[in-house]
Amino acid sequence: MADAMKENERRPLFVSRPSKAVVATAGPVILFTAGGMRFAVEANEVEEIRDRDDRAAIRKLKEPESIDFAQHVGLGAGKLERFVVLKPGECSLGVTDVERMASLPRMVPLPRVFLGAERQWYRGLLLLENEVIPLVRTEYWRKRLAKGTGATNE
Amino acid sequence: MNDTTRFVTFPLGDERYALDSSQVAELVMPSRVYSFPHTMQSLEGVLVRRGGVIPVCDLRGAFGKNAERNLYVVARCHFEGRVETVAIPVSGDCELVQGERTESPEEVTFVAGLLRTGGKTVPLLDLDKVVAHCIQPALQWEANR
Repeated sequence: MADAMKENERRPLFVSRPSKAVVATAGPVILFTAGGMRFAVEANEVEEIRDRDDRAAIRKLKEPESIDFAQHVGLGAGKLERFVVLKPGECSLGVTDVERMASLPRMVPLPRVFLGAERQWYRGLLLLENEVIPLVRTEYWRKRLAKGTGATNE
Repeated sequence: MNDTTRFVTFPLGDERYALDSSQVAELVMPSRVYSFPHTMQSLEGVLVRRGGVIPVCDLRGAFGKNAERNLYVVARCHFEGRVETVAIPVSGDCELVQGERTESPEEVTFVAGLLRTGGKTVPLLDLDKVVAHCIQPALQWEANR
């Protein structure tokens, strides 16, 4: 019996398959670029999107705290042209561009070997149009901004 | 204890190593590695396979430079108490061989034993230890944890 079990464990090469990926479907997402890379944020977590000029115009009014997203994830200081304001409107991610929305992309969890800060940065990876796009974990960025770490407001 | 079974041998750095074929899920031709910002040393990004993602673990730091990569060896290992699948880029040919596994007479880093096959001896890679050693948060991020 033990031998039989042992033999079963020795699955033949090239026929064995990786276990099926746990795939979920994310809701609609907004795709943005920062530091030359593409990311996604869930649309229902976004209050609004402002461009740099809007931001300057409303500076006298209440302005959300913002963070240079590219810089924070190690891509170097980003060109901040757009601000993705997260609900309820008190903080924003400074990004290079906001591209478009995408509906119901498939999401896979971040593999467990990624065990550093990226586990806080991202909720998972979206498989969308032959791309792998990190989906940002908005609650982390809200907390980060609430602490005042990395804010870009001058 | 000696054990006869099938193994996959492949070049890594200047040496050839072997893995038990039961650990190897598949060999993948070079395909796009999707990268994204992260903090882990030795992880290049992910391969997309059958609707899932497989992290690509570059072992050059531990085994020296590889030439142009020919294949990815997709293999299972134990990482932090669970089975994980990783893709290891290799250059040169991979072979499926029959052989006999024996204990290594001395303790060698990242070697779990020896494979005797066709008159040759090939070290068996201790993938669990290699992955645990190579996959660490980079120092500048470690400080921020």
